[in-house]
Amino acid sequence: MIAAIPSAVLIGVDGAPVSVEVHVSNGLPGFTVVGLPDAAVRESRDRVRAALLSSGLTWPLRRVTVNLAPSGVRKGGAGLDLPIAIGVLVASGALDSEAVRGLAFVGELGLDGSLRGVPGTVVLAEALSGHDLVVPTESAIEAVLAGHAEARLSSTLRGLVDRLEGRRRWNHAEDGATSDRCGGLAGIGSTTSSVPDGRDSTVDLADIRGQALSKRALAVAATGGHHLLVVGPPGSGKTMLANCLPGLLPDLDRDTALEVTRVHSVAGVPLPPGGLIERPPFRSPHHGASPVAMIGGGTVWLRPGEISLSHGGVLFLDEMGEFSTLVLDALRQPLEDGEVRVSRARGATTFPARFILVGAMNPCPCGEGGPPGSCRCTPAARERYGRRLSGPLLDRFDIAVRVDHPGFDELLRPSPAETSEAVAARVELARQRAVARGVPVNARLPGATLGQAAPLSKAAHALVERKLRSGALSARGLHRVHRLARTIADLDGVGEVIEADQVHEALVLRCRRDILLEGANR
Amino acid sequence: MSALDEVQAHAATLAGLAGMTPVRLAKVLDGFDPVVAFHAVRSGTHPGDPRRRFRTPARDSDPGEVGRRYERAGVAVLLRDRSGYPSRLIGDPGAPAVLFGLGDPCILEGHPRVAIVGTRSATPYGRQVASELAAELSAHGVTVVSGLAMGIDAAAHAGVVLGGGESAAPPVAVVGTGLDVIYPATNRDLWEQVARRGAVLAESPLGTQARPGVFPARNRIIAALSDIVVVVESHLRGGSLYTAEAAARRSIPVCAVPGSVRSPSSAGTNSLLVDGCTPVRDATDVLVALGLSYAGSSDQHGLPVGRGSSRQGHCREDVGQTPSQRAVLAAVEFQPTALETILLRTDLSIAEVATACDELVESGSLVSGPGWWAQV
Repeated sequence: MIAAIPSAVLIGVDGAPVSVEVHVSNGLPGFTVVGLPDAAVRESRDRVRAALLSSGLTWPLRRVTVNLAPSGVRKGGAGLDLPIAIGVLVASGALDSEAVRGLAFVGELGLDGSLRGVPGTVVLAEALSGHDLVVPTESAIEAVLAGHAEARLSSTLRGLVDRLEGRRRWNHAEDGATSDRCGGLAGIGSTTSSVPDGRDSTVDLADIRGQALSKRALAVAATGGHHLLVVGPPGSGKTMLANCLPGLLPDLDRDTALEVTRVHSVAGVPLPPGGLIERPPFRSPHHGASPVAMIGGGTVWLRPGEISLSHGGVLFLDEMGEFSTLVLDALRQPLEDGEVRVSRARGATTFPARFILVGAMNPCPCGEGGPPGSCRCTPAARERYGRRLSGPLLDRFDIAVRVDHPGFDELLRPSPAETSEAVAARVELARQRAVARGVPVNARLPGATLGQAAPLSKAAHALVERKLRSGALSARGLHRVHRLARTIADLDGVGEVIEADQVHEALVLRCRRDILLEGANR
Repeated sequence: MSALDEVQAHAATLAGLAGMTPVRLAKVLDGFDPVVAFHAVRSGTHPGDPRRRFRTPARDSDPGEVGRRYERAGVAVLLRDRSGYPSRLIGDPGAPAVLFGLGDPCILEGHPRVAIVGTRSATPYGRQVASELAAELSAHGVTVVSGLAMGIDAAAHAGVVLGGGESAAPPVAVVGTGLDVIYPATNRDLWEQVARRGAVLAESPLGTQARPGVFPARNRIIAALSDIVVVVESHLRGGSLYTAEAAARRSIPVCAVPGSVRSPSSAGTNSLLVDGCTPVRDATDVLVALGLSYAGSSDQHGLPVGRGSSRQGHCREDVGQTPSQRAVLAAVEFQPTALETILLRTDLSIAEVATACDELVESGSLVSGPGWWAQV
């Protein structure tokens, strides 16, 4: 007897349909899986057999051959356990083939016959859109996100067989009563939930005393999607500031939210109770991160890296100078393109990677440095430290600010600070102006259109010209200042024409190489 | 440049042998003519080299070739017991047996000499004081000795070269590297100007690269050459305190320029003052400490050195300044002041502060760096 059960496997952030063909014949009892299975799939032989026996079902004492078609694609993950088990049941005659007609299966089996969800169920379910889907109960949210509102659920193999044979009633994903996790299902699909989960865990701007400049830089970065470099001694609050940034960003739009959710699902990161990730993610990898952990890749299945997990949100690199230069320079291409193409011998895939990069760094090896004369590190040592960020990478940062320990008066003086919520409201308004201009954020304004998108007033033009002539501004720096000034004008709502004030502010906020190499050339 | 004679060529060869240090060189040349000493080292019979450490290097080197190399580089070789060697160093216990010089080493004689030294990571304040001091002292016929390092040293030399005027006393630099290794490379112009107008001295032979150890060693020569050592800015454990210590050991007066008690780069100088060094506010204080009468007059009103020049910032006229410029000027110190601090002190917006600072920089009232401003 032969059975063919539709399922799917992950390839990068996409699902690929796979037909699980099971053949049961007379011969020496045995169980082989062919069709480029990886270790997890080969191990599924033992899980499937144990799960069937634990569920009170019979294991055919015959020769069982499983083929995963198309056989040229390498298949990974444990999601094929369930289709293999169903295939064995059908092929051995224990289950009527009519009972599984039109159904696709995705799920991992426990030895006791329980069904478990697998990473990437969202994209696997998307790949099976032509079928009625059967998934473990815990994957209900992912199935609904992928458009399988009618997905059939079961939490055990025994229960599933009973339902297939009509002895029990199906639980559907939208019933919402079958699982704790389905409690939040009603909220799925609405991006207007009032208490976004991302905001709860972040620091509020109002909690930070002083640091007016850094707060302003954060608001500008959030508005324009500008990458931000924070330079300051240990304990000056660089990490706290970076943690504020997600709270200033607006909710993800529907498409980005789906994209982010898919990436997180593929990486096996637990999804929030609502299923859909609506708040910009915040990732803060340790500086020991390897290039693969950062960019994505891996030997068995191509897994998204930190830059893709921060897609749509913030990637915070604390102690940026301590990251290996390999990792840092690998960031350059994704920072430019907003996606990363990971190629391995057995396949290539493209992960989304459009994020706001926040780098934090000490000003010098001893960490206490600031303006000239403030520490004893020699200019050569400071220069070596500063050169850990290559020129091209430093070029990607639009904004660089120096933070210092807050003074006593700042700590003691109760300053009426703006809350994250208030700033976020202004950021959202300002972002709408950029959208009206045809770009999602100002950081992506092409240089050629700056003249139209960001017209300069007479005074502003004269100022820029003076700076260019005096050599204080390079041609490359000009574009950066121009974009920053556009963002500042949007944030302050001053209108389309950029005044000298905004250019002045952009000039002090812009990233300059000497913020790291100060004193080195004297 | 006159050709090197045989004795100088042999001395330079000995100084350049692999593994040679100033101390070992002094031992090898102690009581020996360099030619004799070289041949004794080469044959392994020199009593100052009992382990024959230098026998092989000496066999591999050719004094004639070394001599030609120094001639090509225009470097003079000064021997302790021959003419041309700085007379001030002759009786000094730590004096090098061989000194190398670019320019005219004879200019060391006849002028009073003041060392102006300090930290490499100097503030604009320190750099400015150093160059003003150097310019005014050299205009009064005082030879300024320094080390051609970054920061205070460079500022002092630049003060002489750019601000000393035509009749200024020539500058003297004592460097740690070989005279063909310009370190730091950013000082190349300054280095060449000092060599052209004065002299650059080194005890390291040609080709010696910068490495830790050579700089403290050259500090003792700076101290020994000088009549007074002025430390302009120094961290609590800065290298310029070596110079001060070497001077104190030789009973050479040490002066220090006071700085803000909050400034880490003045911590060393301020503690020198606590220890009893003479404070220096301007060139007049140094000249007084030298015991010199200047411009032929002791008349206080006839002081040619402008006490006012370095105080300009205090009494700058406020006419034509906007309220925000005035507020910014009041908030910015002579030490580099971070933008954050200015914002806090003025209650102005970032754009207002940035505009005011930019205007004040253009008018010369402030200097700026990435994220900070300082008063001039």
